[in-house]
Amino acid sequence: MKNWWKAFLGAFILIGLIAWGWWRFAPYSFHGMVMQSPEPAPDFTLLSKDGPVSLSDFRGKYVLLYFGYTFCPDVCPATLANLAQALHQIGRGAERVQVIMVSVDPERDTPEKIGEYVAHFDSSFIGLSGDPKDIARIASLYGIFYEKEEVAGAAGYLVTHTASVRVIDPEGRLKLIWPFGATPDEIAQDLKFLLRR
Amino acid sequence: MRWLYAFSLLLIASALAFKIFQPIQVLPRIRLAPAFSMVDQNGERLTSDRLQGQITLYTFTYTRCTAPCVNPDLMMQEIQRRLAEEPLSTPVSLVSISFDPQHDTPDVLRTYAERVGAERGRWYIATTSDESLLKTIIGAGFEVYYQPRADGSFDFSPVFILVDGWGIVRGEYRYQTEVPTVERILRHLRVLDEEVRNSHGVARLAYEAAHLFLCYAQ
Repeated sequence: MKNWWKAFLGAFILIGLIAWGWWRFAPYSFHGMVMQSPEPAPDFTLLSKDGPVSLSDFRGKYVLLYFGYTFCPDVCPATLANLAQALHQIGRGAERVQVIMVSVDPERDTPEKIGEYVAHFDSSFIGLSGDPKDIARIASLYGIFYEKEEVAGAAGYLVTHTASVRVIDPEGRLKLIWPFGATPDEIAQDLKFLLRR
Repeated sequence: MRWLYAFSLLLIASALAFKIFQPIQVLPRIRLAPAFSMVDQNGERLTSDRLQGQITLYTFTYTRCTAPCVNPDLMMQEIQRRLAEEPLSTPVSLVSISFDPQHDTPDVLRTYAERVGAERGRWYIATTSDESLLKTIIGAGFEVYYQPRADGSFDFSPVFILVDGWGIVRGEYRYQTEVPTVERILRHLRVLDEEVRNSHGVARLAYEAAHLFLCYAQ
């Protein structure tokens, strides 16, 4: 009888260890490009509606960095809505995530305007704008290409831009890139995985 | 109980075997390459956006780089020739960025491109007249050092940088200290091409495992 209990206990511990090992170390397939040995993401300071904000202010949180603009007809609202839904799905984990949108149209997007724009999607989102030269430099370092495209109509021009989302980890390193079109479910799954690390 | 021990051992042995024998090799994802808009030898815009989805090999030089200045052109020519002989599935572009825009105008770049045999649509020789932006792209973005000397020549890091279709730096090759660089770059181009071709479905999982176990190609 004693041996039976020992075998049962041994099996229980072993299964527990395997399950824990799998949960902790199993290869997880992210829905974007993961940087295995992430390097520090370039720090920057831009203007929010409440004053200057730096990327380094958010150490300890995952930052989801997106470059867009308020006149953006489709891609930006879709991405911000997906991010908002994903944060809703991860519940309290969202407290450790900060969405930041940097304007690639600083001539039209004042800090107040972009701040109000992103708040329509989620009140925790932060919108940043600033000097066009600073933004051009920051965007380039994050691999974000953008350019004006003249169009007929009241808007005058649109801005073509890279639409992927950069994920900066709590230590300030670039960890992951989600392509445009990553769904709320996919984003939420990746965030849940990252947050349990 | 025995099957459980056997399963555990098999699991550990498989992970070790994957790490030791490296059945799949990958290149590390090092950092983001910068975004840019420049003008090439044909006077056309060359943007990082246009190169998305392709593998791109960058190098940095200037057209007045003659001996003893070490010019990467001979190596670029060899890589261009070998890629024509043994094409990859993924499109590959070669880009030489000049850090001497005051002298290297599009006309000068065109003459230079003809001299080195740069194929149209394959090998771009480009720069931008915005020197501040150029410093951001080359210095801060690609992390490549260059500095003008008093005599008009340049002191610079002799380096090739391999970037994937996502705009992520996957390899850096110092061509003065690493020999033979061309063979290594060509080998890495094939490794990257394999990864791109297997970036869907179950194969992608295996390639991500190779990244996780740091199975990096030498």
